[in-house]
Amino acid sequence: MVNSYQATSLKEALDFRAKAAVTPYAGGTDLMIKADENVTYLFLNKVPEMKNIVEDTDYIRIGAACTFTDILESKLTPAILKEAVSHIAAPAIRNLGTVGGNICNGSPKADSALIFLATDSKLRLVSSRGERVIPINEFYLGRKKTALQADELLVEILMSRVGLSNYYYKKVGARNALAIARVSFAAILHLENGKIVNCMTAFGAVSDDIIRRADIDGMLIGKTIEEAKVVKEDYLAAYDREIVPIRGRISAEYRKTVCMNLLRDFLESNGI
Amino acid sequence: MTKFMLNGQEVTSIAKANERLLDVLRNEFRITGVKCGCKEGECGACSVILDGRLVNSCMAAMGSIEGSSVITIEGYRETERFAVLDKAYASVSAVQCGFCIPGMILASECILVKNPDPTEADIRDGISGNLCRCTGYNAIVKAIGIAAKEGEGLW
Repeated sequence: MVNSYQATSLKEALDFRAKAAVTPYAGGTDLMIKADENVTYLFLNKVPEMKNIVEDTDYIRIGAACTFTDILESKLTPAILKEAVSHIAAPAIRNLGTVGGNICNGSPKADSALIFLATDSKLRLVSSRGERVIPINEFYLGRKKTALQADELLVEILMSRVGLSNYYYKKVGARNALAIARVSFAAILHLENGKIVNCMTAFGAVSDDIIRRADIDGMLIGKTIEEAKVVKEDYLAAYDREIVPIRGRISAEYRKTVCMNLLRDFLESNGI
Repeated sequence: MTKFMLNGQEVTSIAKANERLLDVLRNEFRITGVKCGCKEGECGACSVILDGRLVNSCMAAMGSIEGSSVITIEGYRETERFAVLDKAYASVSAVQCGFCIPGMILASECILVKNPDPTEADIRDGISGNLCRCTGYNAIVKAIGIAAKEGEGLW
């Protein structure tokens, strides 16, 4: 009985993925919590094409099977991602857990997925039929549901090389290490010549999906800091209407209050 | 069948690829220095060094370690570095019940390999995934600091 496939190249991985019903296994740190005796894993942790962090003219390209430690050790990793990853779990988990697994597990509490949402990163999804690159906000289709097809693998995450340096990040957890976010928030405010050319925010651990509302953030784009101040209360009110937290171990009211406090702090730390 | 290096020896496990490394080490190879605490990556009692890095052996399926090197406390205790850590831990009574200590020692090794002269913050981050319910950690943090000094040149 075949109960696993070990891929040593991307081509091999895609062939296995196309012909059998397998669970892709990158780092295992989410999968092994509820180890299933009947599952057939496709092991991806030794697929070289999924282990690189490189840059091209537009993007930093992060292999989906890169561990959080690989992310921390790469000189190419943007500071916002490095900071978020440094708060994930503890060293032993960071040595196994991967960004691809964090994204595909589909949890709204995923610490690295939050950053990829807040930076409008793209996902390169590949199958033996071909490949497609989609914005990460089109990948999530509701609680634990993603756009990944049965024969596809997430191979790379594409992050913009520019415009990410002025960032804000806060993870609110119950402790320092091994904390699951109660609320997490990441944002970018990119200014050029005194004008906001991009504003991107994302709220994690609040709803079934990570919340990324480009339509609301658009209220600030194209404005100076002074002009942004004028629409600040409308902007906050829009989020106040749209963020509807789910109740978990902690109350929805708490989550909502923290979200709004963090959003306000993000604006005020930028003089808005 | 999974072939891997266990404490420097090539071994072949007959376990299924989706079994936990932790269970295989304890049940098939009788490597009982690897402790089972939580089976969800929270406690660090099952820590081993996998290809040079600290990992929770409860979080690794056998199929992921084909061709890899696994070091447990049984292998590590034969090293000079262990002797330095052993002495340092004893000198400040950093061991009480002992359940966390195999993992804690391997975490200490990984801290010192990464940085032979760690700050207290580096040490606390390095053991942040290893729970100890007896000591309150201060003695362990101190012991790792002492080992860094006493073991100069070893790491």
